[in-house]
Amino acid sequence: MSAAAGHLSLDALLAWWLHDEASAATADAVDEHLMQCDACGRALDELVALGDGVRAAFRAGALASVTTAAFVQRLAGQGVRMREYRVPAGGSVECSVAPDDDLLVSRLEAPLGGVRRLDAVVASSLDPGVEHRLEDVPFDPRTGEVIWLPKVAAVKLEPANTLRVTLLSIEDGGAREVGRYAFHHRPWPG
Amino acid sequence: MPQVVAPRPGALRIYLCSVAGYAWRMEALDDASAAETPEARAARRIAAAPPGQASEAEAELYRLLAPRVRRYGLRHLRDGHAAADLMQQVMLHTLSKLRAGELREPERVLSFVLGTCRLTVMDQRRGERRRAELLERFADDLPVAEVAHVAPRLDEARVADCLERLPERERAVLVMTFYDERPSEAVGSELGLSAGNVRVIRHRGIDKLRRCVDAGRRLAA
Repeated sequence: MSAAAGHLSLDALLAWWLHDEASAATADAVDEHLMQCDACGRALDELVALGDGVRAAFRAGALASVTTAAFVQRLAGQGVRMREYRVPAGGSVECSVAPDDDLLVSRLEAPLGGVRRLDAVVASSLDPGVEHRLEDVPFDPRTGEVIWLPKVAAVKLEPANTLRVTLLSIEDGGAREVGRYAFHHRPWPG
Repeated sequence: MPQVVAPRPGALRIYLCSVAGYAWRMEALDDASAAETPEARAARRIAAAPPGQASEAEAELYRLLAPRVRRYGLRHLRDGHAAADLMQQVMLHTLSKLRAGELREPERVLSFVLGTCRLTVMDQRRGERRRAELLERFADDLPVAEVAHVAPRLDEARVADCLERLPERERAVLVMTFYDERPSEAVGSELGLSAGNVRVIRHRGIDKLRRCVDAGRRLAA
C-alpha cells in the first residue's frame, strides 16, 4: 500500500463525496490526497457502501422514516410508485397498499405553529397494549403536516388492523396532543 | 468545516506540459518524496523498458492506480459505468505515455494521472467522444488486473435493522442525505435546520450506523 503522511477524517471524506465542502480548493486537496492514499480510499469505499446500504434498504421498503414534502416530491419525480393518504387531525382513513406500490405516504395534518419538539406515539391493534414512541420527529412547521413513511414491505404482509398515531408537542410543562389519527388497514384484495 | 487532518508538506507546484495538443495544468503531488513510491518505481520500470515489455510493472501500476481513478470518477461523474470508462481511459493514456517515453518524469506519475482525470472529466462533460475512440482502438492493450469493487455491498437487512435503532431525526437525515446524495445545506433547508446542525446529526448517525453494521459483521463472521 502506498499511503500519504496523514489521513482524512470521515467527515472530510463524506463532505467531499457529497460535494459539501467549504470550497473548491478543499475538494482539490481531497482529490489529490485520495490519489495517493489507499487507506483513505478504503475508508471512503466503506462510507459509500454504507450510503448504498441506506439507499437499498429504503428502496426495498424496509425502513420507516419521517420525511419532508420535497423529498416525497423528488421520489415521485424519479418514478417511485406511491400511494398517499392525507389525514386531518382527529381523522381516520381506510387504507391499503398494492403489491406494486414502492412507497406508502401518510400525511398527518396538524397545527404545528410554535411547536419546538414533536413526538409520535404509535399503537397497532395487532399488538394490543403496546405503544412505540418516536421521539423528536423532524417536521417543517410551515407545511402544517408530518409526513410519515411506514415500512411498506412489512405493511404489505399485514392482516387487517388499525394503527393509531398521536402527535405530541413536547413543551416545558409536559406533552400537549396536537393530533390523533387512525389508519384502518385492509390487505389488498386478491 | 471539512478539513484535511494532516496536509501534506510542500506547496503544490504547477507546471504545464503538452499532451495530445492540449495545454495541461498538472499539480505535482509532493514530488520530493514521490520518487520512492511503488507507483513511481513501476512507472520508471515501464518507461525504461522497450514499449510493451514491462507487463508486470504495468499490471502493478494498474492495480495501484485504477481504483483511485475509479473513485475520482464516481465522485465527479456520479455514474458507475462512466467511472469505469474513465478508469480505463486514464490508465490507457498513462500507460501509453509511459511506454512511449513521453512522460518526462515518470516518478511524477500521480500528478500526471490526476491531471488526466481532471481533463478527461472536463472533456466528458463537454460531450467529447474521444474516450470511446481510444477504448475501441486500444482496449486490448490494457493489462489484465483485478480491480476490487470500490464499494463492497453491505447486508441490506442489517443496515435496515441498524437504521431502525437510530433516533427519528438521525434516520431522516441519513435517508435524505444518502438516498439522492444531497449536501447538508439542501437537507437542512428542507428540514428547517442549519447546514451545521445537519452535519452534526449526520456525523452522529453515521457513527452509530457504522458501529452497528460492523458489530453485525463481526457476529456473522
